Amino acid sequence: MTYDDYLAGKKVILTVATTGGVHGKDANLNLPEQPAEIARDVRECERLGASIAHVHGRDEYGENSAAHLQAVNDAIRDHCEDVIIQNTTGGQSAYESRVRGIRTDPPPEMASLDMGPFNRGQHIITEHTRHNIESLAREMRERGIKPELEAFNNGHLNETHRLIDLGLLEEPYYVNLIFGGGTFSMPSPRNLLNLVDNLPENAEFNVLATGRHQLPLTTMAVLLGGHVRVGMEDNLYFERGRPAENNAQLVERSVEVIERLGREIATPEEARSILGMD
Amino acid sequence: MVCPYLEYRTHDESHEFDHPRAYCGASEAFVSPMQADVCNDRDRFDHASYCSVYRRLVAEIESGDD
Repeated sequence: MTYDDYLAGKKVILTVATTGGVHGKDANLNLPEQPAEIARDVRECERLGASIAHVHGRDEYGENSAAHLQAVNDAIRDHCEDVIIQNTTGGQSAYESRVRGIRTDPPPEMASLDMGPFNRGQHIITEHTRHNIESLAREMRERGIKPELEAFNNGHLNETHRLIDLGLLEEPYYVNLIFGGGTFSMPSPRNLLNLVDNLPENAEFNVLATGRHQLPLTTMAVLLGGHVRVGMEDNLYFERGRPAENNAQLVERSVEVIERLGREIATPEEARSILGMD
Repeated sequence: MVCPYLEYRTHDESHEFDHPRAYCGASEAFVSPMQADVCNDRDRFDHASYCSVYRRLVAEIESGDD
């Protein structure tokens, strides 16, 4: 994926990450947590152009629960037309819990696959060991699930190349370059350029950037021939001091930016084709 | 054993929710979903080891005892 892809007008895959596992309604009351709330947001975002919905499960208290992914998946299928469901396998939970993201019935078309650990708070490191990552990659391949390879920092690209060398992934590799605080890649245009330069051959890339970096770095991704993820999982604000009203508000703005820059939005069917899922 | 400071509330001075949510009585604030894992001692987490608020509180109490 290159600037040439931008010039050629390659279509943009737009992912909405509605909820995540980090924030709750105490941070923004508009954050959807329950299956019906999430499905309503996804439906509206699909209507605006999102082709992938990255989702997490929450229990009745708004706490992380992989067991609730089944209900979220069911609600999305009930409410939406054709959006691609991408379940999380990330977060700080134990492997046995996270693997439930690829064991829903039917399985999701996609699932996230964190390429390594990262820090949470003062005392927590997530349990994304190589053993766990390889186990998830194998099971995703067995179940026909396309992994979204989450590179939280530069070193995680090394791990991505390693997984490819082990023969655990299929082309095109869909790499999500993640920018933010803590263990994430430092959010800057130069770092995005550098990470794009170090992508594997035959990769498609997406940009995820947290908070105020969401809009500028995803816009840059559009110019570099990449894809875009936005949503309230990554950013609770529409602009400084103004909380997002819903996920659709963030998706709508990205659609405007993408189209103003001359690229079209991929439908779910076109996204499947770009990612080799058809 | 869950954290003794963990409560479930539907509101505080600046929030009102339809359903109860995890609230830290020590810091007097609702906690994030990830922090709630620690408050509830889920998975490998236990509040005595992983919660900065609890650890600081215990340290303050112990230093006060001295």
